[in-house]
Amino acid sequence: MDLSGAGRALRCAAVSLLDVQRLCRAFGPLRAVEDVSFTVRPGEIYGLLGPNGAGKTTTLSMICGLLRPDAGEVRVDGHAFSSDPQRAKSVMGVVPQEIALYEELSGRENLEFWGRLAGLHRAEAGRRAAELLEALALTDRARDRLKTYSGGMKRRVNLGCALLHRPKLILLDEPTVGIDPQARANILEFVRGLTAAGSAVLYTTHYLEEAESLCHRIGIIDHGRLLAEGTLAELRERLGGDRVFVLEGDLRQADPPGWPGFRDRFRVIQRSDSQLVVAAVGSRDPGVCLQELLALPVKVENVTLKRPTLNDVFLQLTGRDLRE
Amino acid sequence: MLRVLLAKDLRRAWRNPLPWLIFLAIPLVIVALIGSAFGSRATGDSGLGRIRFAVVDEDDSPLTGLLRGAASQAQAGKYLEPVFLERAVAERQVQDNQLSALLVIPRGFTRDYLTGNHPVKLELVKNPAQSLHPAVLEELLAVVVTGLDVLKRHLGPELAAWQAVFEGQGDYRRVAELIVRAGDQWTAAQSHLDPLRVTYAKEPREPATEETAPLPTASTGPPPFNLFGFLLPGLAAMFLLFLGNNAVSDLKREFQQGTLARTRTVRQRLFPFVAAKLVFSVVMLLICAGILLGGGGLLFGVAWRDPGAVAALSASYCVFAAGFMCFLGALVAGEERADAFANVIAMAVGLAGGGAFPAQQLPGFLRDYVTPWLPNHWFTKSLHDLLFSPAPVAWGGVAVGMLVLGAGLAGLAAWRLQRRLEKGQGA
Repeated sequence: MDLSGAGRALRCAAVSLLDVQRLCRAFGPLRAVEDVSFTVRPGEIYGLLGPNGAGKTTTLSMICGLLRPDAGEVRVDGHAFSSDPQRAKSVMGVVPQEIALYEELSGRENLEFWGRLAGLHRAEAGRRAAELLEALALTDRARDRLKTYSGGMKRRVNLGCALLHRPKLILLDEPTVGIDPQARANILEFVRGLTAAGSAVLYTTHYLEEAESLCHRIGIIDHGRLLAEGTLAELRERLGGDRVFVLEGDLRQADPPGWPGFRDRFRVIQRSDSQLVVAAVGSRDPGVCLQELLALPVKVENVTLKRPTLNDVFLQLTGRDLRE
Repeated sequence: MLRVLLAKDLRRAWRNPLPWLIFLAIPLVIVALIGSAFGSRATGDSGLGRIRFAVVDEDDSPLTGLLRGAASQAQAGKYLEPVFLERAVAERQVQDNQLSALLVIPRGFTRDYLTGNHPVKLELVKNPAQSLHPAVLEELLAVVVTGLDVLKRHLGPELAAWQAVFEGQGDYRRVAELIVRAGDQWTAAQSHLDPLRVTYAKEPREPATEETAPLPTASTGPPPFNLFGFLLPGLAAMFLLFLGNNAVSDLKREFQQGTLARTRTVRQRLFPFVAAKLVFSVVMLLICAGILLGGGGLLFGVAWRDPGAVAALSASYCVFAAGFMCFLGALVAGEERADAFANVIAMAVGLAGGGAFPAQQLPGFLRDYVTPWLPNHWFTKSLHDLLFSPAPVAWGGVAVGMLVLGAGLAGLAAWRLQRRLEKGQGA
């Protein structure tokens, strides 16, 4: 996968709503984002997956104009962000990670205010607020002050406030942090619906399950670098197929690279003193692979066959567990 | 846009009024406490209430009897409340804070005074737990002593003769001569004493007709003093600075809670946001000034003689307070640090401008070189003049000065805040 090729950038610019090219940003000696490039197309949910501190929010802040990039370019709807920032901002709706709302105002008042700020007339803002309250299942609490809302309800209003002006590009920065599974499921369902009208969504998260179940394409980011991107199937393919083997036992003395023929048939995804995760090279029969693994010169207590997850991809790319 | 932002902030302030109410209540409570400490009649003529003190008459002569009677009658009785006690009882009551002072007329006072054989002394024991009433009594006693001294110097030989009368030694013919002579001397002195050439009036008088026009007086008479009215402008000026800081801090709160950053994802230009905060500060200060000076005035019986001038001065001062506190807020980043910095400066400026103590009572350097340059002093002094000075008050220049200064500081603050926010340095 070529992540920074100029040819691909030119090809994507014509159809993408968001085109990020070689974005860099440093805070003193810390290189928070380094050479990050990706595109988001209309009707697509692009997930930026990475652990805390990976550079997701910094990337998103540069895209929406809160931070100036040290290098690189952001193009929104075919236009460079820097050439007309206000135009770019009018195309996008940003949902920040924190609940950036006014606790003293009601849900409806918050929605109307952010709608007015986005340039809607009073009547139109009122109409859109009513629609969004209905869509977010908040109509019955619309007049209550926000400080009386639950965390999940505040998250929904936080999301709704970015949608008043019907943006073509929606940037969501970890919109489900700190809420219960039911509320999270509601928000994910709502986000899925956003793409039906052709909006493009950039969704940052550190939840594997969200990225797997929600996003059409996923970019894996760590230490400010975009390590891989693609559909879930494409990312799994990096591991050599749709299955991995987990070997458990006393592996302290094990030396996989030294085992005869091992490097030609398997790729190590992760190893520890008690566990070895490997993927088969090529599309071989799992039964054959299993026999080959059991014949290895090491005492194995248990072998498990499973479908690879994004965490396995992340493990293979970084050597770390995303859940750590 | 400005209207949308302003409406949002006003609604938020209305829904969370506690911080505003605290800063509104404090000056009103201070005014009420200080005013009450000087008696419930602080709005009356004296502003002090009646001064209760003891007279211990160890001499018990006809002359001291006359003095005792005079102290408790007529005009003196309006201000003074003498009680006549034994010394031990009086001292106990002073210790119990029931009396402001005790005045001792020593044995032999009349004889020594009239004959001039020995210098005479009156003894005043002040209550250390009180400050103002004993001081007033001391001043009054100084006047009495000066009067007695003047009498003694001018009527020395005559007074010696009166001693014999008081002791019952003069015959009736001698007494009659003394009375006639005293009457002649009083008649001669009356032309010098009545009417007084210099006097003052506490209330403006009706215009006099030509026939009844009195001799020219030193002035037409100041309005009645009102202690609450004296305290209110200074404290209001100081606490309007604190209220201004509260309004400006809202910008920093918006930065902390992420709503400012969210605004920047919607609007490229920050100026409307900063300008709206400035306008919000001014509007809130105008409301607070109305409550403090209007409501406080009604509460404490302060009669603003020129409400239009008071309103104009207050509006100008609100612009200054908002601009000044915005400027201070723009100098320091971070809500807590900026809050502490601005509050300390506001208190210093408030005190140096005569917010808590009369400017005349401040240390010399402050009074002469700092206070005159402080707009809160201009504001306080102008309101004091409007309240208590009978002369016309030139308040227009003060109002314009505060307005221009406030607008200038607000402009500087907006420029600096916008620059800092654009650089991502925080509010």
